[in-house]
Amino acid sequence: MAEQTALSMQDVVFRYMEQGKRNILDHVNLDIPAGSVTVLMGAGGCGKSTLAAVAAGLYPENGGVLAGGNVFWFGRALTGMDPQQRARQVGMLFQNPDLQFCMDTLREEMRFCMENLCLAPDAMDPRIDAAAAELGVQALLDQPLHTLSGGEKQRAALACLYVMESRCLLLDECFANLDRDAARQLMDLLQRMHRQGRTIIAIDHQPDLWLDTADEFILLGDGGRVAARGLHKGNLDRYRPLFDDLGLFYPSPPRPHIPLREERAPVLCFEGVSIVRGTVRQTLFRRRSAAGPLLLDNAQARFPQGAMTAVLGPSGCGKTTAFLAVLRRHAYAGRITLNGTDLAKIRRRELYRQVGIVFQNPANQFITQNVAEEVMASLRVWNPAWPEDACRAEADRRLEEYGLSRYRRYSPYMLSQGQQRRLAVLSVLCGGQKLLLLDEPTYGQDARSVQAIMAQLQGKVRAEGLSVIFITHDRALAAAWADKIYWLRGRRLEPVPAEEVLA
Amino acid sequence: MTGFLERWNPTVKAGTVLVCVILLSVQYLVSLNLAVFGVCLVLLLSGSRCGWRRVAALLLPACLAALGLFVMGLYYARGGSVTQVELDTVSAVPYAVRAAMSHNLYTALQLATRLLAYAGLGMLFALSTDAEFFIASLLHQCRLSPKFAYGILAAFHLMPGMVREFSQVRLAFAVRGLHVHPLSLKPIFTMLVNSVHWSESVSMAMESKGFAGNAPRSYYTVPRVHWYDLAGAALAVGGIVLGMLLLHY
Repeated sequence: MAEQTALSMQDVVFRYMEQGKRNILDHVNLDIPAGSVTVLMGAGGCGKSTLAAVAAGLYPENGGVLAGGNVFWFGRALTGMDPQQRARQVGMLFQNPDLQFCMDTLREEMRFCMENLCLAPDAMDPRIDAAAAELGVQALLDQPLHTLSGGEKQRAALACLYVMESRCLLLDECFANLDRDAARQLMDLLQRMHRQGRTIIAIDHQPDLWLDTADEFILLGDGGRVAARGLHKGNLDRYRPLFDDLGLFYPSPPRPHIPLREERAPVLCFEGVSIVRGTVRQTLFRRRSAAGPLLLDNAQARFPQGAMTAVLGPSGCGKTTAFLAVLRRHAYAGRITLNGTDLAKIRRRELYRQVGIVFQNPANQFITQNVAEEVMASLRVWNPAWPEDACRAEADRRLEEYGLSRYRRYSPYMLSQGQQRRLAVLSVLCGGQKLLLLDEPTYGQDARSVQAIMAQLQGKVRAEGLSVIFITHDRALAAAWADKIYWLRGRRLEPVPAEEVLA
Repeated sequence: MTGFLERWNPTVKAGTVLVCVILLSVQYLVSLNLAVFGVCLVLLLSGSRCGWRRVAALLLPACLAALGLFVMGLYYARGGSVTQVELDTVSAVPYAVRAAMSHNLYTALQLATRLLAYAGLGMLFALSTDAEFFIASLLHQCRLSPKFAYGILAAFHLMPGMVREFSQVRLAFAVRGLHVHPLSLKPIFTMLVNSVHWSESVSMAMESKGFAGNAPRSYYTVPRVHWYDLAGAALAVGGIVLGMLLLHY
């Protein structure tokens, strides 16, 4: 085994259950040269995250069965390495920025990492200072990690890998849910670390960000097997059909969607709305709300009925908080009207009969442990007079419509992210809600699932007059699906044409 | 700048508080209880960073509980001594005054002040101890396993995220038309499912950073037991023992 190969996987077979029939990784063979930047792409459910975890030695240690094959890092077998030795070879950056730290601040987290590698205490501070200077994260060192934004957390996590001096960085969808600026900043750090000689292996379902950096794209098919490799910026167009075949995002200039020309009556109106980021804190005796920065300042907006509207803006700019205001869960000044009625005059339960919301993490809104029951529970809530049979028939009809009837006996938590979101949309609309709020519909999903859900919603919008407002940081998504786009910038909601969004 | 209470080795501090509590539980001296309570408050306000607001916020329920105990001891103590004072001459005196004149007053004071003393000692520890410092100290002074220690730390630092998530779960339920009251179990079930996912993710992240449970590792800071940590402990315990010997009421 040559030193020139960073990662070598030979005939790796991995499954979650000992007796299971389905191999998540099915005879995977993969060699990745040292010093390169390689992007592994594959559709959701093809096993690419599992592949990363197996390569990093996290599986089968934390679950699953390695039924066959070997993994080598820089010529050394992974089996037999303890976590310390593994960390010297490969450091991993995960998809969810919230779940990768165990200490309070970045400085302490970096110390934790170096302690794990048995570094002498005197050597730690110089290394931290050098890393912070090199990566420009000095400002993050002593802030509590939970107060950082997603992009800052990812940079902090990368800084930890920097101090550990791992030879290879393994990135599992680390750009998911970062807005464009945060993603660029992270990419900048990655490029710096690559120039210092580190190998980078990234798992991603969007090639766009990597076009200028990656030496090679590898497409993964079913069972994590290599479907094509040797792709790079120059020859990508030859593989266009394969991208479509595998359900992957092809990096093409997105076509703006042709919006509705006619002016429609608004379903939701913001009239001079101001919102402050209130940090409501429950102290021992009372709720104390500290006034934070102003998120919306005297904003005007008209969200048309029977259409899809996008609200764009970087993470943390207050999009979700504006949604909370619409649900009367966050204080606002000014006037918000729903179908012409002042929101403040509508009782909450009546409001929720008209407005539904699907959050970033749809798993948070499941109320039962069974897919069919999930829909029935919602139908019962909103239609208490319906007999049981009618509920069941209606639930079956809706599950069929959303392509989920195969899974009716499953637990909602066992579904994929895309299916979970569909189920959430379906059960949220059970009360005949006419306005759907959708928070970051792309979160944790591949091109095909995003397309599927947006197309389905568009169908409902056109056929049934549903109104959809979705917030996203993904400009291409907004341009492709929205009839109207609002850009939250300078604390205002500005209507912008799709062409400007893509420019 | 941290106060001397915060620099006091947390393991020694915890042991001291524990010994003091046990000593206080075998004596019945009102004056000693009050002295312990007073000293705790003074130390907290002068020797730690916690402000008087936090002390007051915790003191209020403690005082309420002490008052409850006092009233209970006054009226319902064993021996029913109110009747003993009920001489013909004072029968016109209100019941409360008669009760106060009885032996019960002292019993009630004993109970109430003991509760205050406990509250003082508890606050002394809780309000002046940094969780991370305490865990680091347990790691080195009590040989707590690193797996356990860092597991607790990770969970502790997940709390703000969990609080955020929990309020979102409750909101999601409310929007779905379910009535959620503070004791609803459904959101808690969802949080349990989340917690399982989170603990898996965090432990994998820790492992990928080279953390191997009980493997040897170096430590940036090792909390040590200094002479002044032990002196503080001796002073506290000695003070209480002296009080027990010298005080009479």
